[in-house]
Amino acid sequence: MTQSYEVFLGCAIPNRFNNYESSMRLVSKELGIELIDFDGASCCGTVVLKSIDETSWLSMSGRNIALAESRGHDIVTPCNGCFGSLKDTDHILHDSEEHRTQVNKILAEVGLEYKGKSRVRHFVEVLYEMKDEIKEKIVTPLDGLKIAFHPGCHLLRPSKVAGFDDPELPRKVDELLELTGAQSIPWNYKLRCCGSPLLIASEDVATEIIREKNQDARDAGANCVVTNCPACHTQFDVQVLGLKDDEGKSLELPALFVTQVLGAAMGLDREQLGFELNRVSLDPISEILGL
Amino acid sequence: MADTWGDFKSFEGKKFETFDSEFTKQTSELIGGQDLTACFQCAKCSAGCPVSDKVNIQIHEVMRMLLFGMKEVLDTDMVWLCTTCYTCQERCPQGIDITDILFGLKNIAFTKGKSPQGYVTARQGLYDTGRLYAPTDWEREDMELGDVPEFNVEDTKKILDKTGLMKLKEDE
Repeated sequence: MTQSYEVFLGCAIPNRFNNYESSMRLVSKELGIELIDFDGASCCGTVVLKSIDETSWLSMSGRNIALAESRGHDIVTPCNGCFGSLKDTDHILHDSEEHRTQVNKILAEVGLEYKGKSRVRHFVEVLYEMKDEIKEKIVTPLDGLKIAFHPGCHLLRPSKVAGFDDPELPRKVDELLELTGAQSIPWNYKLRCCGSPLLIASEDVATEIIREKNQDARDAGANCVVTNCPACHTQFDVQVLGLKDDEGKSLELPALFVTQVLGAAMGLDREQLGFELNRVSLDPISEILGL
Repeated sequence: MADTWGDFKSFEGKKFETFDSEFTKQTSELIGGQDLTACFQCAKCSAGCPVSDKVNIQIHEVMRMLLFGMKEVLDTDMVWLCTTCYTCQERCPQGIDITDILFGLKNIAFTKGKSPQGYVTARQGLYDTGRLYAPTDWEREDMELGDVPEFNVEDTKKILDKTGLMKLKEDE
């Protein structure tokens, strides 16, 4: 059965991670997931607008859901920020008549109405449902890849909103990654926030958090970090550049997107998986990835 | 530039003459605030918070300040250094939507001009361009990616005019 979704890319992926978009599209094509362009989207608002004014956030985010709904489609997004924002909005508008009425009054200005018929999904949720198909398509095992998987906060929490995996002991994306022959290693700071939402308030604190994360991932024996979010990836693949521990050793670890790992194991085109755009050097794992 | 936020750094030597029950009521009415008064100060929220060791005032102290109706809470660094990770909310044994309450506090602080400058800039950018980040076109063609679909700036402006985002004021 072909699955079909309007794909909500948000701002961050087209801003700096074309490798995530490209690898997502490639994996989707291989698995027969249809991705329809999200015409006329507006910003999801994310935690930034939610922090400034919740009514504006609910309206902007609600507009996107109402738009997909008006075209009879469900939404899929590869970004934890967009997922959290859209799903949280959906949750509030679904449960609270007061907020639904308020937002629909605002949406009437642009000829839309939220009714709550479209589903909001993260791309990894869709992938997890296709676990068996993915398993059959693994042709180039990634033995030796030791992944510190970082699920990111808004994929999991608050769990009554996200509804995807166990918030304290998540395993679904790890299962997907291990289909490739890679190992998802346990690490202490796995569930800790990457710190990226703090880049707007205090880069120093955000940097301190990513320092703690990468040090722990390295000490746990990982040879790469894997994410499913462009905001988290900004921390692991951009902000981390040049960071050193107290002894002067580099804290950079190759940072991959979940779709790049799956795509590589599925034998897909390395160039279109976008490995050249990863900022932290992939040299330590290039042989495993077949680069 | 000195931070215009986070001025409340310690309880040491502070005197609080009035506790404002109206403020507790106001914060109980925020999204997620319904169970605010059930907090019994176990501090499990602070135990799991990624910035507990980086702030002056921790999240369980914020919760206490809200229960006591202490408006000074809006001047604590915890409000804007919350990463929005939702660990506290997920783990609260009383089921209090702690992170959601903190979002509401940010909203109130913003109307009082108590926010990091980055949020003021982001608001303007969002209103003007409809985006928080502009797309870049490098490598797209090489990777056989099409153009980034345009965001609808006109609808964004209409909505944000209606919600009054650019002229948020304190309702005192």
